[in-house]
Amino acid sequence: MTRVQLVEISKQYGSTLAVDGVNADIAEGEFVTLLGPSGCGKTTTLRMVAGLVEPTAGQIRFDGQVVNNVPPHKRNIGLAFQSHALFPHLSVYRNIAFGLEVKGSPKADIQNRVREMLEMIELTHHADRMPSQLSGGQQQRVALARMLATDPRVLLFDEPLSALDRNLRDTLKYSILDLQRRTKKTAIYVTHDQSEAFAISDRIFVMNEGRIEQAGTQLDIYLRPHTEFVAGFVGDNNAIPAEVEGVVPSLPGEPRLLDVRAAGMRLRGSDPGNIRVGDRVLVFVRPENIDVLDAASAVDEPNVVHGRIEQIVFEGPTVRVLVDASGVLIKVTSSGLGRLTLLDKERRDVMLRLQDVTVVRDDAAVAA
Amino acid sequence: MTHAPAEVAIEYEIADAQERKRFASPKLRGFMLLAPAVVVAILFSIIPLAYLFQVSLTQDSSFFFTAEYTADNYREVFTRYRSAIVETVYLASVSSVLDLVFGYPFAYILIRKIRYREFVRTMMTFPLFGPLYLAFGLFYILLPNGPLGPLFEMLGINIARYLFSTGAVLFSMAVFTFPFMVMNIGAALSNVDPMLEEAARTLGAKPWQTFTRVLFPLSWSGIVAGFLMCFGWNLGVFAQPQLLGSPKEQAVLSIQMFTKGLVQFNYGLAAALGILLMAMAFAVTWASLRFSRGALGA
Amino acid sequence: MAVAAASAPRIENRSGGFSLRWLGNALAHGYVWAWLAIFALPFMATLAYSLRTPDGIWTLSAYQYVFGSFKENLLLSVQTTVITIVINLLISVPAAYAIVRYPLPGKSFILSALNLSLYTPAAVMGVSLVIAYAFLFRIPQTMTGLIAAYVVGTFPLMLVPVIVALRDLPMVFEEAARTLGATRMQTFWRVELPLLGPGISAGILLTFVIIFNEFLVTLFIAGPSTTTAALRVYNLTRTAGFQPSTAALATTMQLVSFVVVLLFFRFFGSRYLKGTYLI
Repeated sequence: MTRVQLVEISKQYGSTLAVDGVNADIAEGEFVTLLGPSGCGKTTTLRMVAGLVEPTAGQIRFDGQVVNNVPPHKRNIGLAFQSHALFPHLSVYRNIAFGLEVKGSPKADIQNRVREMLEMIELTHHADRMPSQLSGGQQQRVALARMLATDPRVLLFDEPLSALDRNLRDTLKYSILDLQRRTKKTAIYVTHDQSEAFAISDRIFVMNEGRIEQAGTQLDIYLRPHTEFVAGFVGDNNAIPAEVEGVVPSLPGEPRLLDVRAAGMRLRGSDPGNIRVGDRVLVFVRPENIDVLDAASAVDEPNVVHGRIEQIVFEGPTVRVLVDASGVLIKVTSSGLGRLTLLDKERRDVMLRLQDVTVVRDDAAVAA
Repeated sequence: MTHAPAEVAIEYEIADAQERKRFASPKLRGFMLLAPAVVVAILFSIIPLAYLFQVSLTQDSSFFFTAEYTADNYREVFTRYRSAIVETVYLASVSSVLDLVFGYPFAYILIRKIRYREFVRTMMTFPLFGPLYLAFGLFYILLPNGPLGPLFEMLGINIARYLFSTGAVLFSMAVFTFPFMVMNIGAALSNVDPMLEEAARTLGAKPWQTFTRVLFPLSWSGIVAGFLMCFGWNLGVFAQPQLLGSPKEQAVLSIQMFTKGLVQFNYGLAAALGILLMAMAFAVTWASLRFSRGALGA
Repeated sequence: MAVAAASAPRIENRSGGFSLRWLGNALAHGYVWAWLAIFALPFMATLAYSLRTPDGIWTLSAYQYVFGSFKENLLLSVQTTVITIVINLLISVPAAYAIVRYPLPGKSFILSALNLSLYTPAAVMGVSLVIAYAFLFRIPQTMTGLIAAYVVGTFPLMLVPVIVALRDLPMVFEEAARTLGATRMQTFWRVELPLLGPGISAGILLTFVIIFNEFLVTLFIAGPSTTTAALRVYNLTRTAGFQPSTAALATTMQLVSFVVVLLFFRFFGSRYLKGTYLI
């Protein structure tokens, strides 16, 4: 149960800035995921928390205490590696006992603790095996037991499942979540896999180019992206260039809504903040949040636009439809029984109802 | 939250101070770890060699009494000992060429066709136990009533003719350095995908063309490295001419150095010969490191 | 008819090609075995010579000298070899660690300087040391001098395999140990050293093979009381001629060396010897 704070931490390698002023406040017992593409600085950030990399600037605090100069072996953290990093020359038992042995714990205590850990990962009968004699999933479970054996204050995960196959990944990610929930330890988890991040996190920090682009719950990240990067990186999305025409009056506490014009369409979307009338923006709408309606059902309400189906791809559980709406190509994903009725509508005129529309400032247009 | 923050803070501060004191600078720690090796190299390699150079600039053993610096020794080396230099380079070149000619097919077969490679490698360590035993064993074989005498008699070869001959010296030199050649060419060949040979053949290349146009260019670096390594070792040859050679082969630089320095106590001349031999060996090493692009390149 | 005529030569061709390939393979293997015979032949001849009196009687009597008058030389060889290996370990392992794991300026220059003695011909090293020992360090013909020469000549052979092994060792093991609470020293002793085992044994093997059989540098710097077994073999060929007893000593030296090599290959294979003096 430790609160972890990152205050303006940066890491510079030569002339490249790997991490650029990251701020984060992670509550006791919270499970936070750093999500981002490779090279975004998420692993470097995690390794700074572990003490394996020294920040160029900024502070790392555990429960308010600055730990920048505390070497890794005194930070009392647990780190799970991409490869399991089990010591190949030690048995499963000795691997789990390692952290306690180097601390000089009494033999009897070590024995009890290791047995407890082995029971937890259900590998009691494999104590004397060498790591190379275990399957990939077993190895990663031993690695988790080894990391928990010393009762660390903070759990750190550096893409621990990326080397495993998909089925194993799915089961193990819930085991990790379960372990964290039971031990109530603060956890920081690094991954580039959004489904992993969405499945296990309390909060997700989306990182890009050394910065945290957005921190929030799964719903925030998915439905209310603050930046173009977040909207594009997480899930599939339609990005429609537009210009802001007006602000819809709203009550305090309600999300601010904007009226925008994109090609021939008038759309209305929520604004994460500070966009003004006349700004160039991108309108984001998820393919699965678009309904395909009959052309005849034309109604004059916001976010219902006219279009023509260009292409239909049947993918089994879903149908992907490409619709030309006033010259803008819009991706639509349809599931459920209704999707089958779409199959014979190629080259037909339809109406689209767009839901959960988000407006984000168009950085490229601003730069240009 | 169960930890009392104040306690934790103290613990960290102590840890911090200790850590700072002990691991003040990684650079300093690195140099401390490196120091013993550096001291040994300076004391017993660099200083003696520098001293050798100084001695080489004095006459006879005058360095130890009244040193007068002169280049006379080098003048002598390049006039009276020119034939010794030629003989040394000749023996080293010919034996290295033999290694290349016989070693290339050996390396190719070893890499492409043989599954008992570990066994071959083990057997190849025999010559590496040293040229002394090798020359010694060959001496027995070449003796008139040697163990293989009946076999040679049957084949009608007068084997004793080869004792104390250039041939025996070259053969023993080539056998000693053979593993170095095979090792270097083998390393280069094992990086050549067999598929390239197959591709060449399916494109209509004859075996000889496959060799000259595909294999040879791709293993060139190994050939150069192997040749220079064999050449470098053979420049310092001592035991083989001493045991198996005629006075002509016994003129090689290493033996001359031993005779001048430890028999005739002409330290100045021995040192000059040594500096020359070292310069030649270093030139070869430098060239081979350039070609192998620094196998270790720290 | 036409089909049969067309297929008959094809079958013939195939069997012809097969036997040609078989012949090629047989020649290739034969070539390699011929060379292996050449490698082993000098040893076999020495062995045969050591087992026969000049009158052609087979006997082990020559070996009584090995543990008789040559015993001291053998003991000295074993002693100097063991001490050299220990010193090599003590200076090479930390040096390799510094070179691979620490940010030092001019690393490749330092490595070249350390490897200098490896490229120096033995006779040059011998003559430079005999002069330096006599007039600079004042340790002529001593065991100290002998060991110093062996150390400087062979510690690079220990350094190189350890550097290779250390580079191959992923950092994660070190990092895992550190995050589990191990100090730097604990990490080294409990994790890195055991994992470097094969690399270090390769260094030990190389040092052993070279030092145990070294005679040339020794010839320059050894005295009557510091004559190693290998040097004794050389001296005997110069003074006593070619006696079965000399052959017995040479055979013993090679046998011991070969057994050590076999044991190493059995346990570690040849992987860590790549890029070094041996294969």
